[in-house]
Amino acid sequence: MLNATQIRQVIEERTERRHGTGKKVVDVREEMDRLEDQGELIVHRIRPENRPVEMKTLFGWTKRIPTNRLWHHKSCGQCGNIPGYPSSLLWVMNETGRSYLNEPHQTSCTAWNYHGTATSNPVALAAVAARNFHRAYETDNFPLIHCGTSFGDYKEMRKLLVENAEIRHKVRDVLRSMDRDLVLPEEIVHYSEWVQAMTPEIVARQKIAASGVVATVHEPCHYYKMVPEDAIYDDAVYQGQRPAVPTGILLALGATVADYSTWYDCCGFGFRHILSEREFSRSFANLRKIRPMVEEAHSDVAITSDTGCVTTLDKSQWIGKAHGQPYLLPVLSDIQFVALTMGAHPYKIAQLHWHAAPVDRLLDRLGIDWRTAKTEFLDYLRQLKSGGAPELLHPPREDIERFFAINKGQVLPDETRATPPPSPVPVPSAGRGGR
Amino acid sequence: MSVVAHLPRRVLSLVEEEAPDPPSMNLTGRERMTVSDRTLAEQMFTEFRQDPRHHEFVLGCLNCGECTTGCPAARFYDFSPREMLQIAQTGDATTLWDAMQEKIWACCQCYTCNMRCRFGNDIAGIISVMRELSVRHGVEATRRTLSPFNRSLTLLMTVGTQVSSDMIQPDFFRDWGPFAAGSEQVWGVSAEVMRKAIPLDVLQTTTSSWEVSVQTSLELFRIYEQTGVLDMLRGLDPDLTEMLVDLIEERREEFTEARERYRTEIERMHGPVATFSG
Repeated sequence: MLNATQIRQVIEERTERRHGTGKKVVDVREEMDRLEDQGELIVHRIRPENRPVEMKTLFGWTKRIPTNRLWHHKSCGQCGNIPGYPSSLLWVMNETGRSYLNEPHQTSCTAWNYHGTATSNPVALAAVAARNFHRAYETDNFPLIHCGTSFGDYKEMRKLLVENAEIRHKVRDVLRSMDRDLVLPEEIVHYSEWVQAMTPEIVARQKIAASGVVATVHEPCHYYKMVPEDAIYDDAVYQGQRPAVPTGILLALGATVADYSTWYDCCGFGFRHILSEREFSRSFANLRKIRPMVEEAHSDVAITSDTGCVTTLDKSQWIGKAHGQPYLLPVLSDIQFVALTMGAHPYKIAQLHWHAAPVDRLLDRLGIDWRTAKTEFLDYLRQLKSGGAPELLHPPREDIERFFAINKGQVLPDETRATPPPSPVPVPSAGRGGR
Repeated sequence: MSVVAHLPRRVLSLVEEEAPDPPSMNLTGRERMTVSDRTLAEQMFTEFRQDPRHHEFVLGCLNCGECTTGCPAARFYDFSPREMLQIAQTGDATTLWDAMQEKIWACCQCYTCNMRCRFGNDIAGIISVMRELSVRHGVEATRRTLSPFNRSLTLLMTVGTQVSSDMIQPDFFRDWGPFAAGSEQVWGVSAEVMRKAIPLDVLQTTTSSWEVSVQTSLELFRIYEQTGVLDMLRGLDPDLTEMLVDLIEERREEFTEARERYRTEIERMHGPVATFSG
């Protein structure tokens, strides 16, 4: 019989040697420190002003999640056709008094293209990642990655740049030709990890109860299947057997999270398929994800935390009517759901009008008066059409920034814009009987 | 016993020179292989086996089939990640060529196979290596497969984002229904006004996911030039590549003019913003 210490040793040995080859999974962060000492690269450290919160990863390693002074690494798919995704995130940051920089001096990770068409290579992908990392570093804000694929790609690229000296030197030469250095962040941080780290502050500001809602979670593949050792887990979420995000925040907000048999499947995005082979994407999304979410879990909403997943699960459903699959299950990102429960405007902030599957029934269940909100939004659109000024979440970019990546530092000061936590969460106005 | 012997007959027939039975489906294109195709296939196979990633990604195989069991593409296509791994491990120029005709493009790149693999093989990664090779050498089947991507490639190469709201046109995305993408017919205002209603200034554009500064897009293009991506794209579509070079030349001129216009401000600055010349 093994004692507790021996059991722990066996588990640690097994987890760090995940596969049959006995290849040990190394903590790339330790090697980064060594390379920094040798002058090979600069590590972008998380500092006290980033107000980090500690989380645990798959192997029980500690991951520090910065919650302040963040550089928004936006997602091309979110900004392109789910703009309520980033606007909800920045709105929640304003509400919780977190400072950030949202600027035009960022490219995408280009990995959607790579996984779809392969018209790139590891040196180019690593150089793009390092270029964006350096840009965040020179503004003194820690990068916060919005997209699951960017998160997965940047984890891979950080590993590659640490482990492969030849690629590291090639990338460094490219960067130096544009007066940039090779900088790697201490942690690669996905926005859903920020949401998890901010859970107490979010719940303290919750205005709308979510207890009448049954949610199903789609776990984005590139969050936890690429470089799995860097995803966060929590014993309170499925006993630590599945990633902590985005399930953790839903439970904290009081929603019921229902399980379904195909939780492990991908959404059907496919990178290439969502654009040029959509019969696959919509068949997979409807048959393997939406149908079990509705028929097995009786879900009111599907929640996920990645660009491609929201797109595929949401946009693929309308055509389902033609095949006798009229589910029309609302699909939201976790941060849109968070913003709604914190009282965000469903159209001006959560931008729900960009979604293909109707959300009215979900808003009714949450007790949100979407009819009035819709009237307000239509008035706002008319004002904009007549030349009215748009409402913005932060000061706009300067004219010179159309051309030059100037360094203007922080956009929002710490704390000053935080709204105080409201009084206790009200009783839900629409329960399951209101269906 | 060779690992290949575990494969289904159809795949086995591609590996052995004297196949006892013809393939059950003609997905391979083997009959159409010309002498120049064979030369190209052998060159690509040599490059494939010499790619340093081959040794890192392909570690072994029990033939347990866990990868294929969880594979989304395997449910809808004649595709199996296990077969791709076997080709990487024990295949030859012909099997690689055959896979490049269609199958490598079925993969969803979801990494489910990697997560499930007991050997820690990077199966999604080795498929990407095959794809890169087929792009770099302009394999005809790959040209056809990627021909719908000119618009997104143009966007990606010139501004560094892959989609824009003006790509989501009702004619091309009918299956998404009338409510997708802030539809003008539902809300009664133009796409430009719908984008103005997003409370983030850099998103208030219809031609890119967000507004990307000229310096940023030129830095990206420099990466593409210096890392061989532009040459790779030339192998796939020389006309598109020349058009991209012209577009970037225009951006460089725009940048030079702006540098003159903002000379006073720029001279006060340090780092890349002061030194980058386009």
